[in-house]
Amino acid sequence: MASQVKVRFFTRDEDRELHCPGNPVFVPVSLKRYGLSEIVNHLVGLEKPVPFDFLIDGTLLKGSVEEYLVANGLSSEHSLDIEYTRAVLPPQFLASF
Amino acid sequence: ATALSSLRSWDEARDLWQHADEATREFTAGLCEQLRLILEPTVATKLRGDYKTGKRLNMKKIIPYIASQFRKDKIWMRRTKPNKRQYQIMISVDDSKSMAESKAVEIAFQSIALVSKALTQLESGQLSVVKFGETTNVVHPFESQFSAEAGAKVFRNFTFEQTRTDVRKLVETSLDLFAATKPASENLWQLEIVLSDGVCEDHDTIRRLVRRARENHIMLVFVVIDGIANTESILQMSQAKYVPDASGELKLQVDKYLDTFPFEYYVVVSEIEELPEMLASILRQFFAETGDR
Ligand SMILES: [Mg+2]
Repeated sequence: MASQVKVRFFTRDEDRELHCPGNPVFVPVSLKRYGLSEIVNHLVGLEKPVPFDFLIDGTLLKGSVEEYLVANGLSSEHSLDIEYTRAVLPPQFLASF
Repeated sequence: ATALSSLRSWDEARDLWQHADEATREFTAGLCEQLRLILEPTVATKLRGDYKTGKRLNMKKIIPYIASQFRKDKIWMRRTKPNKRQYQIMISVDDSKSMAESKAVEIAFQSIALVSKALTQLESGQLSVVKFGETTNVVHPFESQFSAEAGAKVFRNFTFEQTRTDVRKLVETSLDLFAATKPASENLWQLEIVLSDGVCEDHDTIRRLVRRARENHIMLVFVVIDGIANTESILQMSQAKYVPDASGELKLQVDKYLDTFPFEYYVVVSEIEELPEMLASILRQFFAETGDR
């Protein structure tokens, strides 16, 4: 497995501010939700970072991109369409209210 | 895992060759002519030598000529013909799966056909074809004559199913192949044309190898096949990396993909029609900047 893979990020969010340019990005396959979130925030250019969740083919990404590729019998020669959505608030955040 | 790549059937390969041959027929003579202008030395050598007949008098010889009672009569200079350069030209083609994904397969086949036919017409030396992906393999050796049947044999080997694109290995292997076949001749030139979608990693290591190729007088040019236009183009692609900052902490850095592309001499081609002019221009640039050798 190579260390990088070609990815196209997209969102269905109605907020246009959250949309990023559609051109592909070469990203490390080791990244999980946090790293992908950082990249999308960079691409969207938000002033205040927004945490995102990621879906590939409608399935929530739990581990790293590499784990997803391996589990689905894909190589890093494939390009991935990855959907991002605003993350559901983490439990500890809710608990503080 | 080893890349156990299956071969296409002869029928399919011959069919593919025939299609690629037909699609590129109108460009072959043009590319051949452009390559002739670039690859063959055009500057005639200086007038030189002591001949009894020739093109121009050697003025330094006139006084000795008269003083010798016209016996020392080798007073003419001639223009000697430049030696014809011999080339070893390697076409290296990306056989990885991403080629199929990025719709670069058809144009890759057409490019192989076009370049190999033009070079065969040019009769400038030996031609080989190499495929690369996870592994690098010679599919047409320098020693063999190229023909339509050889073309079909080359096409049999390309299935675009390799699950890695190891460009580092390609450049290393090419250096070895060139070193192994180079006969002791100052007049032999070695040229490698890489055809690929351009997606590779380990740019820094590859850049060092590209420099070594140049030190070994191997002319290395890269043709990026950009199969998908618009937003999908490699020209628009970016690369996200984590790079350590001054304090050693990893920081996200997003660059244009081609900004770190390790090949100095590259062109981006999205239609086969563009290939002759693009290939000629990158070779011209190479010769202009490296001052022949
Ligand atoms: Mg590839």
